Amino acid sequence: MGIVLAVISGKGGVGKTTTTANVGLGIAMNGKKCVVVDFDIGQRNLDMILGLENRVVYDIIQVMDEEVGLKQALIKSKMDDNLYFLAASQTKDKTVLDSKKIKKLIDSLSDEFEFVILDAPAGIESGYEHTIEFADSAIIVVNPEVSSIRDADRAIGILDSKSQKVKDGSEVKKYLIINRINAEMVQSGEMLASEDILDILSIPLIGKIPEDKGIVDASNQGKPIILDKKSPAGQAYRRISTRLCGEIVDLMDIESVKSGFLTKIKGIFQ
Amino acid sequence: MFGWLKKKNSASTAKDRLTIAIMSDRDNNIFPFMDKMKEEIIEVVKKYIDVKAIEIKKEVDGDLEALSIDVKLKKNI
Repeated sequence: MGIVLAVISGKGGVGKTTTTANVGLGIAMNGKKCVVVDFDIGQRNLDMILGLENRVVYDIIQVMDEEVGLKQALIKSKMDDNLYFLAASQTKDKTVLDSKKIKKLIDSLSDEFEFVILDAPAGIESGYEHTIEFADSAIIVVNPEVSSIRDADRAIGILDSKSQKVKDGSEVKKYLIINRINAEMVQSGEMLASEDILDILSIPLIGKIPEDKGIVDASNQGKPIILDKKSPAGQAYRRISTRLCGEIVDLMDIESVKSGFLTKIKGIFQ
Repeated sequence: MFGWLKKKNSASTAKDRLTIAIMSDRDNNIFPFMDKMKEEIIEVVKKYIDVKAIEIKKEVDGDLEALSIDVKLKKNI
């Protein structure tokens, strides 16, 4: 049985889908058979980030309704042989989701794959609850910013009360990713530092991702940034993926400013 | 002079505000069965006394956590 990992955030726009795409590809690059599933019914996006939008024929709802077989709907990525993708439905809305059908789908995916990664919709409504229902573990993506952190805490609260694992008396593993860290702002006290966020949320950290302009370019092209070996965010996603595969990789200090010209000038006056 | 060079420390303000907001969010959401439990407690107490409302609060004192249940009566007995 593979590991079922939900990627959640509470608030939208913090990098959840980007994280799903990069971590999925990163795990595949580590040699593990991995499927990424878009659970954002009605607002399909993961296909774009993975550059697979033109190859989507069947979606997750059609598979759950047994209109098509799972094998027909799975799309194999050309970026890595170990990576597969299952698209969300763009026409239906999330009210069509049904627990029994979801369980059946997730069970057959986890028979086939070592990692099943579910991209949750934003918010904490039914679509979100269905995504986390049968997850073994969750990646929580936050930005160092008040509304993201508060919403993440609510999403974690729901994870801890509504997931099947918790109902069965066991625990859902949680991993925190802090995304879009701006080192200079952290240094100048204008942005929450990762220790502060960990103090508040008290869940284990699996990685920190620096703000990186390359992300937009990567989305534009449908090529996850993890493919760019030089990009700081891509490198951070590589480390996170390797950690998720069970290897120990030291956390990098991305919050200390590289001593740039402007910083030096400021330093003189302080 | 050089006021614009001074460190802004809005991050610590953010931390303080978040800590308080999240603590109160969590208290409100920690027991999803709270409403039903309130109703049932009211039913039981009602058998003996007239009840106006019941309030259940989580109180934290160091390591000690407690639920305090306030029963408001309809009139003075």
